[in-house]
Amino acid sequence: MSPPQQPSSTNPNSLKIRLTHRFLHNLNNLNKKRSNLDNTQIHQRYNRVKLAAYASMAHVVGSRRAWSRAILWKIRNRKVSTRHKRVDHKPTNHHHARSIKRRTTNHSNPKREYVDPNGNSGQEVKLRKLVPGVETMDACGLLDETADYIKCLATQVEVMRNLVDLFSTI
Amino acid sequence: MEKDGFFNTPQPWNSMFGMELESQVSEMNCSPEQLPNCFLSRNWDHSMDQSDPFESALSSIVSSPVNSHSGVPTPAGENVVLKELIGRLGSICNSGEISNSTNTSCYNTPLNSPPKLNLSIMDHPIPGSLPIPRNHQLPPAPFPADPGFVERAARFSCFGMNESEFPHMVESGKLSRVSSKQCFKTAELSNPIPASDKKFSRELDNSMEESSLSEQIPIGETGIKGQNSNSNGRKRKAIPKGKGKETQFSTVSAIDNKTIGEPEKEESDAKRSKSGEEENGMEKEKEKEKVKEEGNQNQNQNQKQTKEAAKLPEPPKDYIHVRARRGQATDSHSLAERVRREKISERMKFLQDLVPGCNKVTGKAVMLDEIINYVQSLQRQVEFLSMKLATINPRTDMNMEALLLKDTRASMLNTMNHLDAPAQPFYGLVHARPENPLTSMMHHGSNMKSSQTHGFGEASAFWENDLQSVVQMGFSQNQGPIFHGIMGTGQMKVEL
Repeated sequence: MSPPQQPSSTNPNSLKIRLTHRFLHNLNNLNKKRSNLDNTQIHQRYNRVKLAAYASMAHVVGSRRAWSRAILWKIRNRKVSTRHKRVDHKPTNHHHARSIKRRTTNHSNPKREYVDPNGNSGQEVKLRKLVPGVETMDACGLLDETADYIKCLATQVEVMRNLVDLFSTI
Repeated sequence: MEKDGFFNTPQPWNSMFGMELESQVSEMNCSPEQLPNCFLSRNWDHSMDQSDPFESALSSIVSSPVNSHSGVPTPAGENVVLKELIGRLGSICNSGEISNSTNTSCYNTPLNSPPKLNLSIMDHPIPGSLPIPRNHQLPPAPFPADPGFVERAARFSCFGMNESEFPHMVESGKLSRVSSKQCFKTAELSNPIPASDKKFSRELDNSMEESSLSEQIPIGETGIKGQNSNSNGRKRKAIPKGKGKETQFSTVSAIDNKTIGEPEKEESDAKRSKSGEEENGMEKEKEKEKVKEEGNQNQNQNQKQTKEAAKLPEPPKDYIHVRARRGQATDSHSLAERVRREKISERMKFLQDLVPGCNKVTGKAVMLDEIINYVQSLQRQVEFLSMKLATINPRTDMNMEALLLKDTRASMLNTMNHLDAPAQPFYGLVHARPENPLTSMMHHGSNMKSSQTHGFGEASAFWENDLQSVVQMGFSQNQGPIFHGIMGTGQMKVEL
């Protein structure tokens, strides 16, 4: 039932398990950091929880995928920026991206136009906006990353739903 | 990558039989300027070593056809025999092609880039106007199967090419072969080719390239073409009319030698083998991402051939070829474009499986819309659930720790083979007030944190399943459906 931890496995079961662990771990750390019971800080908590969700997702997947790398990079930059600026609101990635030397994602070519020079349709542009880290990839890699991203997102959603179910019943 | 495999894999089977020669032939058919990739070149280099004598023969043949294009009258008898052969080939090819549409495409594309591919040539015997004699003009020793080659070309290339073009094709094919073979080293050989030949060679090259893009079913092709590949091979070997290379080709190609008279047979066999080799080689050469129907069909062909030609063991499909379909352009760019499109379509199909409710959706645009919507909905769900967790979390801080501790404890218990024990504290946690079990668990947890990493997976799986079952059983029956209904229905905001 419980296979040994396979770091590179994309089996949904193991992925879910790993996601659960990681997410719980992150949530725990998050809650330990600050106890924001105030309603005004619910938004803060919400952001942190969301960040923890994406972070756990990216950490579980590791550096295998472009989107996970992009997320990890964003988080790292965000942490650096928050450390320097103590920004509580969710910083925009673009802003910090420019301030910090970008390594992977390419924000120098934001998809402003509907049709890329390559002739990409507006849909591809939208997809590139949705999936992190695929801005410079070709259509083939884009679809690959999208598939992996969808899979991990679905697993993360399931884990979170289970957690909410669990917490709401306790 | 595949290229490496491509280069390496052909070696073993190349050495095994004349498939190498076929590949060489096919490779050579690709015109230098049209070779989309240099796979062929590298393969040729490998294969060239084995086919050096053939190369020389080809070069000689190439040079010879130049003179033969002047239009030498064909002996009537040869024409007749050739016609019969072509007719037979056409029937065989038709039967083979009927079973597999890709066969026709494969056969067609190599020999004719224009989309107008038809089996007319094969259906009817080649008229006497067919300048078959030209083939005979070629020196028999090195490449005597001009008529055979023509027939093969006719057979496989259901193209609207006139019969009169066959010898040109043959010659051009040879020329192209030679040139391509040496990675354009033999470009000079093609130079003396008259314009007409060049045109045919170009077509041939295009077709060759196309076929090279097809999946590697070299033997499959021959199998379909002729069920007598074995016999042909044997016959060819038995009839070594200075065609040492020819025999090698014949072993590979499955052209029906029996039906042809001996001299004709040899020539036709050589031609067939050449064409078959061409086709096979063409198939082998290029890498291909994946051609589903083509691949499947090619595999079918291959199976047929393997059944028929015991001599032709199925070559390792180390590299994937893209096969140009009938009626499609054979330009290298279009071929590469097709490969790319097929890759994308393959991934789209995979995405279709991931995204629920997209089985009936056809079309890339609609599918992309669905994918975008799904990703957006998933992200919105994450936001919604994280908001929910944020509101719930303050009350469940201890629960989270307890859960983690419970996991560790469960893992420890599991490791200690106390499978039932973890259930109890877990249930106790769920049903009763968490303080007491929490404190107890925290005490335990402090001791067990060291073992956290071991059975964590097991514990989590265990408790998660139990959690879900417990939760659904006792408490969340009213919430479960709501949550389950959220996914995919967009009713996420119901609870909020």
